[in-house]
Amino acid sequence: MGDTAGMAVPHFMASGMGGIRTTGDLVARMEYAKSMKVGEAKAYVAKKLGIDTMEIADEYVMRELREELRIGTVTGIPGAPRGIAAKMNIENILDIKVNSCEKFREMLTR
Amino acid sequence: MSVITRLGDGSRVEMTREQIMADIQDGTADAADMGGMPALSSEDMERICEIICDRNRIVGVEPGNEVVLTYDIGQLDFTGDNGNSGNGVDMGRLEAALLHERALGSDTFELAHADYSIKPVKPIIANEMQTMEEIQNEIVIPYFYGAMPNMGLYYAPDGPYGNPADLMREFKLEESFAASEAASEHMARDIEYVSTRMVKAGADGFNFDTTASAGDADFVGTLKGVEALRKACPDTYINVGMAGESVMGIHGSIEYDGQTVAGLYPHQQVKLAQKAGASVFGPVCNTNTSKSLAWNLSRAVTFIKTCVDEAEIPCHVNMGMGVGGIPMCETPPIDAVTRCSKAMVEIAHVDGI
Amino acid sequence: MPRGANPNAARKGGTTQEKTKMSFDNEKKSLHDALVSCKIPDIDKAVQDAKAAGMPANEIIDTLGDAMSDVGVMFERGKLFLPHVLSAANGMKKAMDLLGPELAASDASGGASRGTVVMGTVEGDVHDIGKSICSTMLQCAGFEVHDMGRDVPTPKFIEEVKGGCDFCGMSALMTTTMTVMKDIIDNLEKEGLRDKVTVMVGGAPITQAYCEKIGADIYGESASETTRKAKELTA
Repeated sequence: MGDTAGMAVPHFMASGMGGIRTTGDLVARMEYAKSMKVGEAKAYVAKKLGIDTMEIADEYVMRELREELRIGTVTGIPGAPRGIAAKMNIENILDIKVNSCEKFREMLTR
Repeated sequence: MSVITRLGDGSRVEMTREQIMADIQDGTADAADMGGMPALSSEDMERICEIICDRNRIVGVEPGNEVVLTYDIGQLDFTGDNGNSGNGVDMGRLEAALLHERALGSDTFELAHADYSIKPVKPIIANEMQTMEEIQNEIVIPYFYGAMPNMGLYYAPDGPYGNPADLMREFKLEESFAASEAASEHMARDIEYVSTRMVKAGADGFNFDTTASAGDADFVGTLKGVEALRKACPDTYINVGMAGESVMGIHGSIEYDGQTVAGLYPHQQVKLAQKAGASVFGPVCNTNTSKSLAWNLSRAVTFIKTCVDEAEIPCHVNMGMGVGGIPMCETPPIDAVTRCSKAMVEIAHVDGI
Repeated sequence: MPRGANPNAARKGGTTQEKTKMSFDNEKKSLHDALVSCKIPDIDKAVQDAKAAGMPANEIIDTLGDAMSDVGVMFERGKLFLPHVLSAANGMKKAMDLLGPELAASDASGGASRGTVVMGTVEGDVHDIGKSICSTMLQCAGFEVHDMGRDVPTPKFIEEVKGGCDFCGMSALMTTTMTVMKDIIDNLEKEGLRDKVTVMVGGAPITQAYCEKIGADIYGESASETTRKAKELTA
């Protein structure tokens, strides 16, 4: 613990990937879904996105790419996918299943 | 040349580079002695010294070295009181989750109950499930359910079993062992009940926070709960975060998978966590408030580096107030936090924080 | 060196009695090793052997007490576990029972405890493991401990101190409850009791600076440190 400005913000500034500002959420998914160590997870994500590993935490590169790939953006863009829709696109790009998307699909009636 | 650095309670202290280096040597030696691990190399110690002596207010990793940041305690960092280092700003759990995703650079986040313990979630499980379903519709980053196993709640007066420490003080050893074992089994059943339902509601996974806070039987109960969750939900994300660097031996001989768990250190704990089915392990090293940042950070890096080296799964080190070298201070000084963050990533090579 | 002994005696050759005292080194080592082994039969045997060798009862107990401090440190470093600590404490208790009459005869205090300690986790805080371990360590070090448990109402602390005790130990594990410690100290002052008791504080968010800020006397980073500091005050 520790207050948000003294804990979350400094860690983000010092060593964080930045979540959906870049590819932090995607690398996290690979670490958790496949127990990949950070280097392997970054390489996997970079390969799937078709970029260099140095670019996956680069805001300039990822701002545009996330919008293009429709996988959720950090700033609000009307009409851009968010939530389940963005995660369904992430499933396809990373070749993994996301639990909430699976549950969403189970709820649909054909 | 003197450097303005910190003590483990967060207060400022002026030290020479030689004093800092001496504390780094003492800190790593203390960890090595306690955990039976190698001390840091001279190169690593020199690197920690450089990070601590950096003249800039904040420091950071080199581009390309960034790691995943997972967050525990859910929305309580905004809504809680100072007991949770919270800001005391009431807001919905959806808003808190999206603020973390879009304003704080969080790579994962979690839903939490105000008490943050597993036991009280049982009677309100449906409420938690529908909130999880609702937030999953909006959020993009992996979104867990998080809670502390907190086996203390299973002992009198909160729970049905006698307090083992009290029983031991009366020299009722057998009764104490029985109480710990029964509470451990009970907690494992509750973990299975709560965690499988939250995954059913769409949670990406479950974060076990402050595992083993009530000692070795708490650790065993949590591992059994993890095992049950993994069996029921083979693809779910499971984070096992610890309470301290060593598993306190309150029972003393309780085992998981044939191994006594009391007295295990992070590099030994992680092996049991991965055996039980954890996806990611959260090692801890506690801060000594009377020692310097240099001593605490060096000691923490020693524990965590060995853990990372020996782990087959990723390690997301606990780096909050009073752990991971960070001072025990409700408003952690950012110079100390960023130094600990950088050292853990670039020297201990953690996979996340 | 035993209190009151001539510091030059050993160097000059010393008296027969002092030479005999010096020869207890083997017994002291056996007592220490037996207690650290935490095996009650071994402790019993070491005590019996030391007694048979003529080692004074107070020295036997002091040696066991020092060994108990080592047991506490080993517990905190994950080398020993609570049942070991309790087993060692039980061994020490049996030694006290055995040596009681001799202690009473040789000691002006009649083998009384180091002091009375009232312990509790403050109101609103349900954490209890650390405080319980600290109570155990103090008990093992020869203090008479009254552990009131957790979530102890503030007036209860005051009542207990009023009833008579040498130390008042307070534990808090949360930043929201640590402030209660100051309330208790303020109340002790209001009641004119503050100077009659040594106030000890501990728990995860507590620091030396906080101890000083609220006017407590002892801050313990750990159970063994608290015990060591309390022992120093009563030495």
